Amino acid sequence: MSNSLALVIALPLLAAFLLQPLAQQLGVGREQRSVAIQLYAQLTIAVTLWITLMLGNGVEQQPLSVMMGGFSAPMGINLYLDRLSLLLLVATQLALLLLWPADATPRIHALMLLLSASSMGLALSGDLFNLYVFYELLAVATFGLVAANSSRSAPLISFRYLLISGLGSVLALSGIALIYSHTGSLNLADISATLQHGDAELPLAAFILILLGIGVKAELFAVNGWVPEVYAIISPRLSALLAGVVSKLAVVVIVRVLLMLFPHPEAAQVLLVLGILGVISGELAAWRAQDLRRMLAYSSIGQLGMIFIAFSLSLEFGMLMGLLLSLHHMVVKPGLFMLTAGKSKRWHMALFVLFALSLVGVPPLPGFWVKLSLLTGLVEAGGALNQLALIVFLGATVIEASYLFRVLQNTLPNPPAVDEGHLTVGWNGLVGVLLGGVLVVTTLSVDPVLEQLKQISSQAGDRNLLISSVVTPSAEQQMVVERDK
Amino acid sequence: MEINTLDLLALISLVTVATALLVGGQGRGGWQLSLLYLLQLVVVASMVMMAGGEGIISTLQFSTVGESIGWRLDGLGLYFLLITVGTAAFVSFYMAGPWGEAYQRDGGSLRWLQVALATNVFTMLLLLASGDLLSLFIGWELASWAAFWMMALAGGIALKVALRYLIYAMVGAMMVFALIVILYGQAGSFGFDEIREASVQMERGTTILVLLLTVAGFGIKMGLLPFHLWQAPAYAETPGPGSAFLGAISSRLGLFAILLVLFRVVDGAWIELYLGFMNPQTLLAWIAVATIIFPTFTAMRQNDARQLLAWHGIGQGGYMLLGIAMMDPLGVAGGMLHIFNHATYQAALFLAVTAVIYRTQTSDLNHLGGLVVRMPLTFATMLVGIIGLAGLPPMNGFVSKWLVYRSLLEQGEVLLFVGAVIGTLGTILSVYKLLHNTFLGSLRLEHQAVREVPITMWMPMILLSGLILLTGIFPGVPLQWVAEAAASIGLPMPQFNLGGVIAEGGSLDMRVISGVLLSGFAIAALIFYGAGSSRRVNPLDNYAGGHFLYASNRYHYSNNFYAGLMHLIKPWYRGIFERLEQIILLLLAVIADLLQGLYLQRQPGRVALVVLVLLLWWSTL
Repeated sequence: MSNSLALVIALPLLAAFLLQPLAQQLGVGREQRSVAIQLYAQLTIAVTLWITLMLGNGVEQQPLSVMMGGFSAPMGINLYLDRLSLLLLVATQLALLLLWPADATPRIHALMLLLSASSMGLALSGDLFNLYVFYELLAVATFGLVAANSSRSAPLISFRYLLISGLGSVLALSGIALIYSHTGSLNLADISATLQHGDAELPLAAFILILLGIGVKAELFAVNGWVPEVYAIISPRLSALLAGVVSKLAVVVIVRVLLMLFPHPEAAQVLLVLGILGVISGELAAWRAQDLRRMLAYSSIGQLGMIFIAFSLSLEFGMLMGLLLSLHHMVVKPGLFMLTAGKSKRWHMALFVLFALSLVGVPPLPGFWVKLSLLTGLVEAGGALNQLALIVFLGATVIEASYLFRVLQNTLPNPPAVDEGHLTVGWNGLVGVLLGGVLVVTTLSVDPVLEQLKQISSQAGDRNLLISSVVTPSAEQQMVVERDK
Repeated sequence: MEINTLDLLALISLVTVATALLVGGQGRGGWQLSLLYLLQLVVVASMVMMAGGEGIISTLQFSTVGESIGWRLDGLGLYFLLITVGTAAFVSFYMAGPWGEAYQRDGGSLRWLQVALATNVFTMLLLLASGDLLSLFIGWELASWAAFWMMALAGGIALKVALRYLIYAMVGAMMVFALIVILYGQAGSFGFDEIREASVQMERGTTILVLLLTVAGFGIKMGLLPFHLWQAPAYAETPGPGSAFLGAISSRLGLFAILLVLFRVVDGAWIELYLGFMNPQTLLAWIAVATIIFPTFTAMRQNDARQLLAWHGIGQGGYMLLGIAMMDPLGVAGGMLHIFNHATYQAALFLAVTAVIYRTQTSDLNHLGGLVVRMPLTFATMLVGIIGLAGLPPMNGFVSKWLVYRSLLEQGEVLLFVGAVIGTLGTILSVYKLLHNTFLGSLRLEHQAVREVPITMWMPMILLSGLILLTGIFPGVPLQWVAEAAASIGLPMPQFNLGGVIAEGGSLDMRVISGVLLSGFAIAALIFYGAGSSRRVNPLDNYAGGHFLYASNRYHYSNNFYAGLMHLIKPWYRGIFERLEQIILLLLAVIADLLQGLYLQRQPGRVALVVLVLLLWWSTL
């Protein structure tokens, strides 16, 4: 039964590879074929959602760890499902279902399926090697999606994206190699166990390399040069998916892994400094942006900077804060992007204001509670850098309010509308309403939601639990014995 | 669960919002709203009667994210709330009649204006009744955004200036945010008492930071220099009665919060602190004087009646702070009484100007004149209002300003006194310009057919005028409320009776002063009406504003009013604050463009490589 966890990744992959031949076999008209293929793709995602929910039942007490092919921890491929990855997985699957592009060519559907498989793989990977593999796959799928755009600048923009991403891959791979050379293992739990026994210490350079490498997807400062141009040309739905969900998935998964492996205070400082730079540059650039989607793109760089700042606080508290900010942004940013599609109506504006208010942190919306906790945490943590972060955070909020509400003046043009086909009329708005509803419901139930998330993040930050659930006691003993030899 | 009067008030306030949503749009149908505000006023009045001691604690308390939030209304909050609800009652009545219908005809949405007004009142209730720093911040944010909504409703220019307000308000709100998290860091709680206890041991640097954040953060809302630029345009562009409401009370919330934090939340030890060049009290007083002088003379230059009034609103806030900064009985009484007095005459004046706009479609002081013969009631309102604003007897503005002056002199603060008097001089000159250019001189041809405004509009104006006069003659009534307010934050109050203040070295009894004045008026009237008919003179045999009139002008000398004075003080108007704002924005824009350049590089990996090398180098250190 638990082996079906692999299906969550395998099914969309398989569906992607089967899609082209299947599409050629379909003899019906172009219109029906398109609908059929979309149905097929979305059905695949729905099935993975169903499997995830089935498996997620028992995760509350004991995380689920699956050794592929029966090989034990350090050797085999390890999939790891705890409450955090469950939450991210479900959020990703729901987002995919809601934001699936309509009226697209089979190739786009196939790329979307690849994107789905790789992001789910990212959420589930229990070792660094697989993390890297899925990360690469995600990058490839995204290039395809960006390059498939009909705009004239698409090839150039996706090439630039490819360059940065390629650089990131090299960095990440060298970081992983460094870790391997120090511990002789790529499995997270295994490395954690090794570190806990004090047998090895990881160099900070490995952290920096991996962070910058994988930070490309997470819109980390200095490796996020691709963000504004890419989000400006792809469709609002894809922007919502990439900026809203995939980037957050990358952040949470990666930072979680890294914080587990690198308890050094210097590692947190790097996160903090890059986060601060991201906030300053992103928010100010958004303030000067000349059209709506670029503004939102720059703004998401700033938001992710804030998430990095949050993660730089102590392991448990930082994990909670980062998670809260990420989830909040995961609801708000797609909502804002969805409202940039098509002509704006009155209720679009109202919804836009709702999202903007929460993003700025106006009580009693969820954004306020997140900011309140984060700021009190920063004051408590003390130190010059944290105080700087506090000031930057507050300043960024002012700038955010300034550019978000400038939209009310209707002076910011949308870039030429991306054709999303006739099937989508009203759907984007509907998703916006749905996300607005999520925001309102969360406002009304801040406490229970916070309680759940606290448990999730404390489980995710528990090193011992990770080690004990992945490395079976016998295997651990065996390892110790081997090491002692 | 037992419901007390505070809960009841909150409930009625919410019902008012809902009612505004339902019937706010029906011009004459809006009487239900006035009734609801009146009901709120009755509840507040009953609370004022019974108030004292601990204040009223709302039964609605809850805890979120591990912090408890509660509301509690004491004397200070009640005083501000009384003014708020009272103003709203006058304003909504004014709006609901023909004015609202005309507003709808011109394409405005009366419903949303009414909803915005009701929301403003409700959020201000939340703020004024805050029982801890968390509810204070929530109320502060909500009230600021509600005010933004009201300002932005009209769209166009109004939205543009409202967005400017928004930036200032957000800067203020974030300072306040920093303030509450810093105080939380000191006390580990948002409760007032816990923070007061913890603040005794606060370090010098932290205390200075707390002072700075409090005065600047909340002071932005009350337009303290140098954060005042947003206020006048934003209030002036708000639809008529809305501007009366905002001008009367909205910006006073800043003063409320400053008082609450400095005298209730934080321990009083900050008064003894020395900042290196002066103590905080003196600094506060000088900021107040600057806030009086600059905006008042800016007001004098305005050629739009609404702008002129709104600029005065900023300046008058300076008197309030100046009085309170003295921290002696007379100063506190004067400063705090001025809040009420200002609200009454400012509301009356804005409503009068709105009435003029309603009939003539303009508030341009160069295109009005002579309306006294067509709109006598509006003229009377404005006359009473400007006498109050200028601080002359027998109107209420005189009492509060007199108290402030007395306090300054008793404290030996001669320079501050001179500053305050210069401000008053500017006020008198500019309000005369307002009255003269609107109502005196010859009636313009296009205004020949103008009539007095309908009763729904003149009645609130006349009632407000009566209030200004009555509280001028019997300042003891509002002083009673002020005493409750001052007591709740531990500030001293002088002895007072119905007619004024009893103090060593000279009491003030307005009943006597008004009696003398009014009998003087009576004698003058007797002479005027008894002396037979008036004599017509040649237009050349006349002068205005200290200047001879030439045959080419008709008497109504409104264009370039005070030309001589303006010529003298022109070098002082360099718009330094406007320029400062522009420079800051420009600098920020340059930095922003440079940073944006990082994302638009030809070689996208360059920045990444630089950062990577720097970080790797750092990790080897």
